[in-house]
Amino acid sequence: MPMIEIKNLHKYFGDLEVLKGIDLSIEQGEVVVIVGASGSGKSTLLRCINKLEELTSGEIIVDGYSLTDKSTDINMIRTEAGMVFQQFNLFPHMTTLQNVTLGPLKVRRMKRAEANNFGMELLKKVGLEDKAKVYPDQLSGGQKQRVAIARSLALRPKVMLFDEPTSALDPELVGEVLEVMKTLAREGMTMVVVTHEMGFANEVADRVIFVDDGVILEQAPPKEFFSNPQFERTRTFLGKVQNPNAG
Amino acid sequence: MAFDFDASVMWDSVPILMTGIRLTIIITIVGLFFGFIFGATAGLLKLSRNVLLRKLAGAYVESIRGTPLMVQVMFLYFGLPMAVGMRIPPLTAGIVTIALNSGAYIAEIVRGAVQSINPGQMEAARSIGLTRFQAMRYVVWPQALKRMIPPLGNQFIISLKDTSLLVVIGVGELTRTGQEIISVNFRAFEVWLTVAIMYLALTMTISKILSIVEEKVFHVKR
Ligand SMILES: Nc1ncnc2c1ncn2[C@@H]1O[C@H](COP(=O)(O)OP(=O)(O)O)[C@@H](O)[C@H]1O
Ligand SMILES: [Mg+2]
Repeated sequence: MPMIEIKNLHKYFGDLEVLKGIDLSIEQGEVVVIVGASGSGKSTLLRCINKLEELTSGEIIVDGYSLTDKSTDINMIRTEAGMVFQQFNLFPHMTTLQNVTLGPLKVRRMKRAEANNFGMELLKKVGLEDKAKVYPDQLSGGQKQRVAIARSLALRPKVMLFDEPTSALDPELVGEVLEVMKTLAREGMTMVVVTHEMGFANEVADRVIFVDDGVILEQAPPKEFFSNPQFERTRTFLGKVQNPNAG
Repeated sequence: MAFDFDASVMWDSVPILMTGIRLTIIITIVGLFFGFIFGATAGLLKLSRNVLLRKLAGAYVESIRGTPLMVQVMFLYFGLPMAVGMRIPPLTAGIVTIALNSGAYIAEIVRGAVQSINPGQMEAARSIGLTRFQAMRYVVWPQALKRMIPPLGNQFIISLKDTSLLVVIGVGELTRTGQEIISVNFRAFEVWLTVAIMYLALTMTISKILSIVEEKVFHVKR
C-alpha cells in the first residue's frame, strides 16, 4: 500500500482550475521532489495533501485514510503529514521549545515533562538544543526553519511535506536546512519536497516530478530527469533554474 | 469688573470633585468591563463562518457607531421607559450606555487584531493537528491580544471622556459635580480648569498603566 495515493485530483479557486487531474502514488520511505514554474500549482498540491485546501474532486489517501471520507478525522490526518512552510510560520509568542511541544501537549495530550524531554530531543536532532529558551525573533532564518521542522516532527508524522523550505533563506543558510532534510531522508522518512535546489533533488530524491500548469508533465529518477528530460517545456524550465541569469 | 483668578477656589472644589471622579472611574471601569465582553463577542461573531451571526454583530456595531452617544443615553434613559413603562436608575443607564457604546468599537478592535495575524499562523497551528478552536486559543488570540492593547487603551480614554456626556441624565460624575459647584459659587474658570486637569490626570494615568502592561506583560519595547 502506498503512503500517499492521489487519484484524479482537481482543484479550483473560484473559476480558476489550478490542479487539472493529478495522479500520483508515493511509497513509504520515498523522497519525491516537485519542481515547476511559479504558479503551476505545486503549493496547492502539497496543501491538498495536508487538507489545508479542500479538494474540488478526486481522492487523496494518506496512510490508508481517505481525506474525502467523512469518517476520517482531519486533525489526525494533519498530524500524519507534517508541513514545513517557506515562511517558517513559527509562533512568535512562544519559545523555541514551546513551539515544538505545543502539538505533543495539546494534540497528543503528553505530560509536560515528557513533552519537554521529547522537544529537547528534537531540538538536538536539528542542532538547536542550546536555543530552547529563545524566542523566534532571535533566530536566523535557517535556525527558524530547523525549529519548524522539529515542530512538525513532534507529531511523529509518517510523511513530511516541504513547501520551498529554503526559498526565503539567505544563500549561506540554505545548507544547514538541507542537511537536516537529508538526515530525515536517510532515516527513511517519506518526503514530498517542493524546491528549486536541484543539487538536493539530484542527491536525495528517488523521483523528480515536473508540474506544469496543474498537471504532472513528467517524472523520473533524478539522473534521468536532469540528463534526459522528455519534454521541451521541461528543458526550458531546467534551463531557467540551472542558469537563472540567462533569462 | 476685572477678572481675578482665585486659586483657593480650585483647592476648595477638590473634595467635592473627588466624589465625581469616583463615579467617573466606576462607570468607566464597569462599563468597559462589559464593553469588552460585548465587543469580544461581537468581534468574534463578525469573524464567524455563519452569515446570520455576522450580520447580527454587524448591525449592532453599525447602529452604535452611526449614532451619537448623547442620543443613545437619552434614548435609553428617557425614551425606552415610555415604551416599557419602567425607568432604570441613571447610574445603571450610564453604565449600560458606556458598555454598549464601547462594545461596538471594541468589536472592531478585536476583529481587526485577529485579522491582522498572518494566516500562516493559523495554518501552521492546524498543520500540527490543533483544532480551529485550539489554534485560536493558543496561537492567534495571544498574539491578537497584544496588538489590541494600544487601541484598547485608546478606547479606555475615549470612554472615560464620554462619561461626561452622562450629565444629561444627571449622573453625579465629574462633569456633573463641576456644574453643581459652579451653580453655587459661579467660579466657572477655576472650577472647569480643575475639572479639566482632573480628566487629564486620569487619562495620563491610564496611558502610563497601559504602557507598563505592554512592557511587563507583553514585552513590548519602546
Ligand atoms: N487561495 C487562493 N485563492 C485563489 N487563487 C489561488 C489561491 N492559492 C493559489 N492560487 C492560485 O493558484 C495557482 C497556483 O498557485 P500555487 O499552488 O501557489 O503555485 P506554485 O506553488 O506552483 O507557485 C496560482 O495561479 C495562484 O494564483
Ligand atoms: Mg508555491
